[in-house]
Amino acid sequence: MKFGSTAKENLTKASEKNALSTANRHSSGFEQFSAMLQRPENLSILDMSGASQANVSFITSLGHRMSTDDILATMQQCFADDFLENQKVASKAQRFIDQTLTFPDESFDGALVWDTLQFLVSPVLDHVVAQLLRVMRPGGLMLVFFRADERSPRIPMYNYRIQDQRTLSVSPRGGYQNVQFFHNRVLEKLFQKAGSVKFFLTRDNLRELIVRR
Amino acid sequence: MWSKRKEDEVPLRPERPAATPGAFGPGVEPQRREISTMSSPNRTFEPETGAVRSGSAALGKNVTVKGQIVAREDLTIDGEVEGTVECHEHRLTIGPNARVQSNLKAREIVIHGSIQGNVEAADKIDIKKEAKLVGDIKTSRIVIEDGAYFKGSIDISKTAQVKSPPQSQPQTQPQPVSQPAPQPASVGSPIGAGTPTLK
Repeated sequence: MKFGSTAKENLTKASEKNALSTANRHSSGFEQFSAMLQRPENLSILDMSGASQANVSFITSLGHRMSTDDILATMQQCFADDFLENQKVASKAQRFIDQTLTFPDESFDGALVWDTLQFLVSPVLDHVVAQLLRVMRPGGLMLVFFRADERSPRIPMYNYRIQDQRTLSVSPRGGYQNVQFFHNRVLEKLFQKAGSVKFFLTRDNLRELIVRR
Repeated sequence: MWSKRKEDEVPLRPERPAATPGAFGPGVEPQRREISTMSSPNRTFEPETGAVRSGSAALGKNVTVKGQIVAREDLTIDGEVEGTVECHEHRLTIGPNARVQSNLKAREIVIHGSIQGNVEAADKIDIKKEAKLVGDIKTSRIVIEDGAYFKGSIDISKTAQVKSPPQSQPQTQPQPVSQPAPQPASVGSPIGAGTPTLK
């Protein structure tokens, strides 16, 4: 793996902007996740992209309780510009861990993790996954995205906004140097303590996972 | 001047009825009501209820309050507050310079600044893009602008009610003019000496 001195790169080029402008996309993974939301009982859902009007409205209109934890904002706050190198600094990694997923055990029936995990490296990544499994209730579902384009020099960072039970609005919010690629085998090992992992491969080089606790 | 007011005198506001006993409700004393109007020119008077309706109160950005704040009018906080803030049946605005470590309760809450604490609004919570909120939310409606930072849970309840503190007297009955302030930071007494603004 290669770590640049300044891992964070601003996606400001016009061609990249056009390619990454806000767009709606169908999500099979989210469609399966939202099927769970149709349950009549009052579920507790975690959104790890932070608070957004669209997501809050969608989840709460179904009668469920929603919590948010903008993990990417916490990453940027704790790891600053040298995003990937700083994760190896014990004090900074600990500061990030202390602020992330500070919920009681078995708090959530579902978690919208989105693409947040792909910007973390071990051991921070392993710890966050362990925390996710801790805060999920047995049988709870997590929706997780990973980029599937190994050759891309950058991993774009997106905001995901729910449009309906199968459609997401995707808008760019930055990006980082691509330093690791998650093969299926790597992902299976990452979630080996989960009950099951289901993969959805999409046309736009995005791998969607439904992880059942 | 006020004691000489008679029916044949030209009233200050032509639409106001004559000040006869009981005209504005049982137990309302016209003299006291008029005195408060004169001493608070920015207050508006509602003859139907006999109540004095005040403007909004504000805590400026250089003000620090530690303790309990209870407001009976709209309140804007732009300073530092540590404790609890209750603004029953009114709007509470947290300004862009505010640093609040409190649980908040109001009819409506607008957030521009930083809050660490639980927020409860009977009607609506409006989180602006520069806001930072860490805590749980309970409300009937919520508006979140893109860019706002929020960490906590959201509980949308259509029947969310912010319980007002028990009031021993209804609005039509007079309050003592020289009511002692129960808390140093209490604002919005029904009949007070003006709209306090701490700068």
